[in-house]
Amino acid sequence: MKVLDKRIQWIALILIGCFLLLFIQLNNLQIRQASHLTSLPYNFRNHQALLYLPRGSILTSDGTILATSKPTKDAFKELREYPTGSLFSDIVGYDSIYYGVTGVEAVYNSYLSMHPSSSSSLGGILTSQDTTDDVILTLSTKLQQVAVQALAKYPIGAVVAIDPQTGAVLAMYGKPTYDPNPLTSHNISQERAYFASLNPSSPTSPLLSVAYQQRYAPGSTFKVVTSSAVYQRDPSLATKNYPYLHYLTLPQSNSLLHNFANEGCGGQLPILLEQSCDTGFGQIGLDLGANNLAGEAQQFGFNQVPPIDLTNVAKSNFPSAASFATQLPFLAYSAIGQGNVQATALQMAMVAGAVANDGVMMVPHVLSQIQDSLGQTVKQYVPQPWLYSTTPSSASSVTSDMELVASAGTASNLFPPSQNIAAKTGTAQTSQAAGNNNWLVAFGPNGNGVKPQVAVAAVVPYFPGLPKDTTGDQIAGPVVETVLETALSLGL
Amino acid sequence: MSSISVGSPSINISQPKRRHWRRRSEFGMILLASGLTICAYLIVSLSLTSKIPSNLQFFLGFVLILGLLAHLATRVLAPEADSVLLPTVVLLNGLGYVMISRLDVYSVHKSAPWQAAWTALGVGVYILTLKVVKRTRDLDRYRYIIAIIAAILLALPLIPHVGENIGGARLWIHIGNVTFQPIEIAKLLLVIFFASYFVEKKELLSIGTLRIGNRLFADPRSFGPILLAAIVSLMAMAIEHDVGFALLLFVLFISMLWIATGRFAYVLLGIAVFALGTWMGSHLLVQVNDRIVVWLDPWKYSSGGGFQPIQGIISLAAGGLGGVGLGQGLTGLYVPVPQSDYIFVAFGEELGLFGSAAIIVAFLIIIGSGFRIAVAAKSDFAKLVAAGLTILIGFQSFFILAGIERILPLTGVTLPWVSYGGSSLVANYVLLALLMRISSESEERKLEDLLKE
Repeated sequence: MKVLDKRIQWIALILIGCFLLLFIQLNNLQIRQASHLTSLPYNFRNHQALLYLPRGSILTSDGTILATSKPTKDAFKELREYPTGSLFSDIVGYDSIYYGVTGVEAVYNSYLSMHPSSSSSLGGILTSQDTTDDVILTLSTKLQQVAVQALAKYPIGAVVAIDPQTGAVLAMYGKPTYDPNPLTSHNISQERAYFASLNPSSPTSPLLSVAYQQRYAPGSTFKVVTSSAVYQRDPSLATKNYPYLHYLTLPQSNSLLHNFANEGCGGQLPILLEQSCDTGFGQIGLDLGANNLAGEAQQFGFNQVPPIDLTNVAKSNFPSAASFATQLPFLAYSAIGQGNVQATALQMAMVAGAVANDGVMMVPHVLSQIQDSLGQTVKQYVPQPWLYSTTPSSASSVTSDMELVASAGTASNLFPPSQNIAAKTGTAQTSQAAGNNNWLVAFGPNGNGVKPQVAVAAVVPYFPGLPKDTTGDQIAGPVVETVLETALSLGL
Repeated sequence: MSSISVGSPSINISQPKRRHWRRRSEFGMILLASGLTICAYLIVSLSLTSKIPSNLQFFLGFVLILGLLAHLATRVLAPEADSVLLPTVVLLNGLGYVMISRLDVYSVHKSAPWQAAWTALGVGVYILTLKVVKRTRDLDRYRYIIAIIAAILLALPLIPHVGENIGGARLWIHIGNVTFQPIEIAKLLLVIFFASYFVEKKELLSIGTLRIGNRLFADPRSFGPILLAAIVSLMAMAIEHDVGFALLLFVLFISMLWIATGRFAYVLLGIAVFALGTWMGSHLLVQVNDRIVVWLDPWKYSSGGGFQPIQGIISLAAGGLGGVGLGQGLTGLYVPVPQSDYIFVAFGEELGLFGSAAIIVAFLIIIGSGFRIAVAAKSDFAKLVAAGLTILIGFQSFFILAGIERILPLTGVTLPWVSYGGSSLVANYVLLALLMRISSESEERKLEDLLKE
């Protein structure tokens, strides 16, 4: 029996050792590592404070409620609701206990969440109450709905419409997208299951906006930038006659740059743009040189994050001038928006907008104004220029070339002739030529002293099931046409 | 071992004084534990709603009546039993209930009323066990019946329409809308079976009778039933996709075998078999592999399998030394299933290191008492049963706490008496009653021996 006791005592010792380990690790977690662990982004306590309080609403320019908070009887006290679901999720974002705050919810959080009233009345100073403000956006519900319908045929794509003179975003929709409501639900397991179903770590997650967080080769829509570079930096090239070619032999290599469908083309710049002549523009790129082309791309906002009032906005890429020194073939490809050039739909809308606005690229924005709970304006957005992309005369030359594209070139028969719409198509081959990324940018109306009201860019990237030989005017053309014409008819 | 009549009325009368000091100190400590529970309940309510709970008098009555009922039953049925076990369990159960009801604010389906009902049933079962099991050796009689019942209980969840999958593990059965984990009862039956079997076959198991070469080995025939029991329980676990209980039963089996025989080879063999089992499990069972992968690097799976472990340690860290205060923590918002597996982190956050260390100490008190009872027990069988029951409590609480603290991969077992869960609560009250019976019996024997002298 004594032997058994000895062995029992051994087991007791082992267990005491185990519990000592538990105690040591508790000290490690609760004391030694406490400040490190609690400062991690996984600690939702850091943005918990936003939840227990009322929160302002987010509305469109026409008064549709996009986000609002309702008092609840459960422990969370307030439920954040998004009545339009996925329609504006890329812009509005979400305010989730688990997954943080994004989009307008994040950018204008200080107005939406409870804060001391800024009332200037005597009573306001004396009582100094806390209040929430409402955020009113520049977006139009009707135009956004039209954008959704225009893209309905495709599983993936984006369309962005801006006012070129103010930079106001009128509609911006990318798909696939998500419904923010489950992310703010008070059912934690539902919230987590929905978030996981969105594949948050995937580069193609629906949480990423196809309109401003995904980049695609802009293809021939980039020829707008190349054309502007010619007028601004080397005008002699504008009148140079480029030979009629089926393909261009590239320097420093044996590789050939073929025209789309191996067609032949050549001539002066307006003709090259009208027909979207790759051999011509490839040679223009080589003639302009790396510094001119990279500089022009920089002036049109490439390699910079657009200062739009949203979160995690992707910058568009253009290779550095130095990178072309030993890689001249890439310069030819970059001039036609291929190679390593990548742009978001938002960026290309801004490029079109800059040309439309006499070469001035306005700061893109979704905020129209902020109102307090009594409906009084607290802050009114004042439009401001971001980049002086090109000179007014260059912009006007590019505009007339782009009008030719819409009247007689690759985008003909899309727009009503009376509006003199300026457009440019883009059909960028994806890697290994699985299919094409289809683009179109356009703005209008033009001529007779009319200022362009709307600039639109649309992209429908290649997706399995899309025929191999699609073009920008076929696929993205009708999307831009619908959105642009609706915007004009609404008088936005 | 000759049978001696124990617990006879004559002793009750002859030694009234000595008898009463244990129960008196138990009574005092139960009042203290109940008082702490009621204070905690009050603080939580004040913290959450700034109001004194409307049902405070009802709660007060409920806690006191249950505590006193258990105490009175012990006074009558196991008068010489250890005095700290019951108060410690009352404290753990009470604080666990307060935390469960406090975490209920976040859920639609309230768990606290169920936990209250299960606690009442647990105390009832505690009294019933003390009443039915008058002598420890009564348990020794029905060895094979007990083994068969244990095997049936282990297999129950596998029966279609009766069994139920919760969280990937098939450990539950449902009767009406009540779910139950039969393994919680089976683990107690296995302790009794192992103890009974090992005591009888002790010699055979520990002394080599089979000669291979010039070395003696234990007769393989005597391993048959043990191996069968071990294999059946492990297989059931493999099919039921739960590692926690398989590990617990294995540790129980190996430790009891070692206590009975003293053969270290069994321990080595056991560790080897379990290592092999885990290796195979991690390749065959997704759940096992996921647990290990997540344990090694939870940050990589922060929105998937790593979510709960990460939120758990962050909750502990948020508590720091003194905690954020009862009712002030946010574990309930961020940690999935906070009322069962992860209830400990809610204490860690709201009561800090002081509170979490106190819970660890409470378990150490129970474990210490359990092993003390085992050492003091008069028969080998009672020793093994007491040691086995204590091993269950000790390792079950160690595994879940070590999982939460990321010392070991997470195993989904409950924290005895604290976590939400009816079967666990009821089974652990039976376990407590058995420990109390063994304790009372050996103290009575000691008194009797003293009287004889």
